[in-house]
Amino acid sequence: MTSIAVQDLHKTYKGALEPSLKGLSFSFQKNAIVGLLGPNGAGKTTTISILCGLVKAGSGQVKIFDLPQDAAHRETIKRLVGVVPQQIALFPELTAIENLVYFGNLYGLKGKGLRSRIDEYLQVFGLEKNGNKEVHRFSGGMKRRTNIIAAILHQPQLLILDEPTAGVDVQSRSMILQFLREYNRQGVSIVYTSHLLEEAQTICSEVAIIDEGRLIVQGTPDALIARHGDCSNLEDVFLHYTGQAVRD
Amino acid sequence: MLRLLATIKKEWLLLLRDRTGITLLFAMPVVLITVMALIEDAPFREYQEVKFDILTVDNDHGRLGRYIQEGLQSSGQFNIVDSVKGHPVTEQAAKEMVNAGDYKICIIIPQGATGAIVSNANKIVNDISRRMGTSIALPVSARTDSLHVTVYFDPAAKKAFKSAIHQALDNFLTQVETDLLMDRIKQQLKRKDVPETDTMQIQLKAVGLKEQFAGESKQPDVISNSVQHNVPAWSIFAMFFIVIPIAGNMIREREDGSLLRMKLIPGSYLAILAGKMLFFVGVCVVQFYLMILVGMYLLPMLGLPKLMLGHSHVATFIVAVCIGLAATSYGILVGTVFKTPNQALNFGAISIVILSAIGGIWIPLEIMPPTLQYIGHLSPLSWGLDAINNIYLRNMGVQHILADVSKLVVCAAVMLCIAAGIEKRRIS
Repeated sequence: MTSIAVQDLHKTYKGALEPSLKGLSFSFQKNAIVGLLGPNGAGKTTTISILCGLVKAGSGQVKIFDLPQDAAHRETIKRLVGVVPQQIALFPELTAIENLVYFGNLYGLKGKGLRSRIDEYLQVFGLEKNGNKEVHRFSGGMKRRTNIIAAILHQPQLLILDEPTAGVDVQSRSMILQFLREYNRQGVSIVYTSHLLEEAQTICSEVAIIDEGRLIVQGTPDALIARHGDCSNLEDVFLHYTGQAVRD
Repeated sequence: MLRLLATIKKEWLLLLRDRTGITLLFAMPVVLITVMALIEDAPFREYQEVKFDILTVDNDHGRLGRYIQEGLQSSGQFNIVDSVKGHPVTEQAAKEMVNAGDYKICIIIPQGATGAIVSNANKIVNDISRRMGTSIALPVSARTDSLHVTVYFDPAAKKAFKSAIHQALDNFLTQVETDLLMDRIKQQLKRKDVPETDTMQIQLKAVGLKEQFAGESKQPDVISNSVQHNVPAWSIFAMFFIVIPIAGNMIREREDGSLLRMKLIPGSYLAILAGKMLFFVGVCVVQFYLMILVGMYLLPMLGLPKLMLGHSHVATFIVAVCIGLAATSYGILVGTVFKTPNQALNFGAISIVILSAIGGIWIPLEIMPPTLQYIGHLSPLSWGLDAINNIYLRNMGVQHILADVSKLVVCAAVMLCIAAGIEKRRIS
C-alpha cells in the first residue's frame, strides 16, 4: 500500500510564465520516511500544498492512502495527514499550551485527553518547562518543536514536514530527527523536505529528487549513491542530477 | 461548536495579551466622542444659549431705536453694546470693529426713523378718515426718500445667523409700525367719542404660534444638542474602526502561517470565521455601550447635556449588533483583499473616514447636495445612524429600525461572500 501516489501532476499558477509542475509522478510506500528533495523552485512546496488540499492541481491524480485528493475525500485525508509547514504556524502571543489547546480543539479534541496528550508531547520535545511561555519568547528550535507538536496532536498516519530543521541548533535538530525515527517506528509514514542532504541521507529510507516540476530520480540513498561511481554521498547525487547552477 | 468557542477564547486571549491594543480599542473612542461632543457643542448652542454682543448705533433716539434694543435684549440671545470704553459707538467705528471680527453684527438705526414711521401712520389714518367722511389731518412729513435700518455682519457670519437677525429686525419694525398705527387709530376713535377699548391688540394676537414635538418624547430639545448628535454618530464611526484590528489580525494570521494551519485542519473554516466574527461583534457592542455610558454620565460632568436614550433598549441592542456585524465583515473583507498590514491600515482608515463623511456622521445628510445625499444613503454608517436616531430621537421601536438593520445585515453578508470568493480563488 502506498502512503502517497502522484500521477502526471500539472500545475501552473495564475499569472506565472512557467508551470510549477510538469507531469510529476511518484509514489511512496506506507510506513517509510521519504525525502522529497529538490533545488529552490523545483516544485516541492507546490506538491506538498496539493497533497494537503491547499492548492488545486491543474491536472493529474493524487492519492493519499489510496484515497483520491478531491472534494469528497478532502476532510478524511486531513484527518489522516499532519502537516508541519516551513513557517512557524503558531500564534506568537499565545503560550505553547494555549496554541496547542486551540489547535487540538479545532481537531475536535478537548478536556483531559487533550491536555495529557499535550503534556506528553511537550515532555517528548523537552518543552515541559516552557509550556506556559509565550511562543514569541521561544528560541528558533523551541518554535520548530512546538510547530511539530501542533501537527501531530490528532495522531496522523502520514506526517508531511517542510524543512522541519531549518534554522535550528544541532541539539534541536538531533531531537527532531530522533523523534521522527521513533514516530515512524510507531507506524506513521513520513514525507520530509530539506536542503540538508546529509540529514536526509541519514534519516530517509527513500528519496525522490524533483526538479523543474518533474521527478528526476527516486530510490534509496545508498542505491542512488552506488549508481554513480563519482558520487560519495547524497549531495553529490543531488548535484549530479540538478546541476551546479544557482537557483533563485 | 467547539471550534467556534475555541476561536472566541483564542481571540480573547490574543486581545488580553495586547494591553496597549485593548486600551486603544476602548479608550480612543471615549476620547473621540468626548472631544467631538465638546467641540461641536458651541455650534449646536449658537442660536440657543450662546449670547452675542451686538453693536448698536442709535441715531434715531426715538421709539424704534428703543424698541429694537429692548427687543433684542429681551430675547436673551444678545447683549446690546452701544458704547465701547465709555464712548458711544459711531457708525464708522462700528463698521471697523465688525469687519475686524470683534463683533458679529452692528445695527445702525437712522436719524428720523421713528418720525418716518409716525408720519406713515398718520398718512394711513388721514386716508382712512377721509374715506370715512371725517376731516382729520394729522401731520405728515414731506420727506419722500425711504429710510433703512442698516445691518453690518462679520464676513464670517453664517447665512443662517444672518437670516435669523434679518427676521428679528423685520419683526421689530413691523411691531413698531403696527403699534404706532394702532395709537393713531385709537386717538381718532377717542375724538369721535367712542368708548375706549383695548380689544384691537387682543384681536391682532388672536392666532399665535405654538411649537409641538412630532415624536412621543416629552423633550422637544433633545434633537438639537451636541451630545444627542455626536455620541451615536461618533460611536458608529469608532465601531467601524474595528476594521483595523480585524484586518491586521487576519493578515498577521496569514503571514505567520497560523491561517495555513487552520486550513489544514479538517472541519469548516466558516466556524473559525464565525467565532472570530462573534468575538469582534461583541467588542463592537461593548464599545457602543461604553460610549453610551460616556454620553449619559461623563459628558454631563463636563457641562454637556445628558444623552437621552429612547424607550426601546431591545432595538438599540439589535442596532448595535448589526452595526458590529457590518463593521466586522468589512474588516474581514479588507483583511482578505489586502496583503500587508500597511495596505489594510491605510485603506481601512481612509475608507471609514470617507464612508462616515458621506454617511452623515460629520454633518447631517440633509444639508448635503442631492447627489451626495443619494451616495450618502448607500453608506452603512448612515443606516446605523438613521436607526439610532429613530430610537433615540423619535422614540421608535424594533419595527421601525428593521429596514436599516436589514440593510446592515445584507451588506455584511455581501462583504463576507466577496471575501469568501477571494479566498476561494486563492486556493484554486
